[in-house]
Amino acid sequence: MRKVLRDRLYKGIGLTFLAATLLILYAPILVILVLSVNDSRRGYAWEGFTLKWYSALFTGSALTEPILNTLAVAFTATAVATVLGTIFAIGINALEKKRRVKMVLLNNIPVVNPDIVTAISLMIVFSLLSLTFGFGTVLLAHIFFSMPYVILSILPALRKLDANLYEAGLDLGCSRGQAVTKVILPNIATGIFSGAMMAFTMSIDDFVITYFTSGANYMNVSTWLYSKLRLPQAFTPAAYAYNIIIFAVTIAVIVSSNLVNVRKERLKNEKIG
Amino acid sequence: MNRLRRYSLPYLVWMGIFILIPTVVLLILAFSDLSLYRPGTFRLSLANFAIFSLPTTQRAIWNSFRFAGIAAAICFIIGYPVAFYLSKLGIRVRKILISLLIVPLWSNMLLRINAWEKIFTANSIVTDVFGLSISLVGTDAAIVLGMVAMYLPFMVFPIFSVLEKMDPKLVEAARDLGANDVQTFFRVVFPLSGGGVISGFVMTFLPALTTFVLPAYLGLGKYTLIGTLIESKFIKEAADSRALSINQGSLISLFLMILSITAFLLVIRVDKEGETLI
Repeated sequence: MRKVLRDRLYKGIGLTFLAATLLILYAPILVILVLSVNDSRRGYAWEGFTLKWYSALFTGSALTEPILNTLAVAFTATAVATVLGTIFAIGINALEKKRRVKMVLLNNIPVVNPDIVTAISLMIVFSLLSLTFGFGTVLLAHIFFSMPYVILSILPALRKLDANLYEAGLDLGCSRGQAVTKVILPNIATGIFSGAMMAFTMSIDDFVITYFTSGANYMNVSTWLYSKLRLPQAFTPAAYAYNIIIFAVTIAVIVSSNLVNVRKERLKNEKIG
Repeated sequence: MNRLRRYSLPYLVWMGIFILIPTVVLLILAFSDLSLYRPGTFRLSLANFAIFSLPTTQRAIWNSFRFAGIAAAICFIIGYPVAFYLSKLGIRVRKILISLLIVPLWSNMLLRINAWEKIFTANSIVTDVFGLSISLVGTDAAIVLGMVAMYLPFMVFPIFSVLEKMDPKLVEAARDLGANDVQTFFRVVFPLSGGGVISGFVMTFLPALTTFVLPAYLGLGKYTLIGTLIESKFIKEAADSRALSINQGSLISLFLMILSITAFLLVIRVDKEGETLI
């Protein structure tokens, strides 16, 4: 009897803390949602329902250019970081143990470093190379900070892969390139996909690193927000609408890809069973 | 397989360019009067250290450590039970709840902070819609709570990933050997989850320590934290071509770099492969 009560108490504590965590995480999202349909430019008070901020996104506003910049950088950086990250991960995985561990350590430095330290390091390299700050420097910076995450999510998949499979592919007449594209890549596809998603979501929301590497004339949504949130005349609630749309699209992509995976697993199990 | 090794070589070069070079340059800038943009004179000096004797700098460092420390501790107090509870659930529910913790992070951080600013302002839109009127902006509490709200998931994830992989047989063994719940937890489960706890503290404390966006909004710009100092040295004062601002900023960044290297060494002692990092 006492044990049952105690178990209930533990469960109750766990559940309460989980509920508190979800509340803390979702409260601001709810506020953003409200602000995105509020018929007020300043957003100090509720002035009625509207969808005009959503339509403003498509008809053009002060936000159009920052949004296009954000998307251009996110898509390009994700593509480059995913391709390079996959190649590097395959290389790192093939190293002997001692070197592999060292490379993984090196890979994790930017992951642990606070954004501001990474941002300043990149800013210094770009200044030394006398690069013009703008799209190019921001893109390079985003490739740099997202690639370690791509590598981190591909490595476990590679480790699970039997090293002999690659050799078997070669023995069965694959060229070296084919052994990579036809044997290794299909087996690590899920890792590559989740790495790419991580790169994309990090790039699209980045503020600190973009802020230090973009110069004065190039803005993404976050740096635009930083300069305009304090200026009611220049700010537009379309930013809230943009955030809700990006948020919804990301959820849709992740949920549907998970569903596809679940279905694939089920098919596989049925075939085996 | 061995042929594939060469693919890792360019990565070494790439990381060298973006990690090694800036570290060396930061060191030179911090200990000299060299100008990053208009290299002219170059004299080694310790003059940049003068910023550490300024009350503003001292207060910034003290406040940053205080806020980030309290915030990380709160994240731990809330986050550990959550991670523990999640690790006990069935795989399906566990997966759904973990995704629920990740999803809010896909919302822009500046807008989430902006939303907290409205929540913490009395008679704001939040009062109109939810009937909630809290007046906290511009206080220590607002900044600390903002930090908790931003970084809490980064405490839960690493602890959860360690607890999830823990062998349940260890708990059974402890029971069989006569330990009660509390003993099992404090002498078996908790020590084994230490790696996750350390990663969690690093992943919440470091970003909280270095933020400059949070104090700008939730502190109404009244607070200068370490991040605020670096921002003003590298962006605002540098734009005004203030002499030595970049050198002083480099010195503070170097200080942060040493901190994060220490944190990094701590993490790799408990987690060589970086499994608790994503």
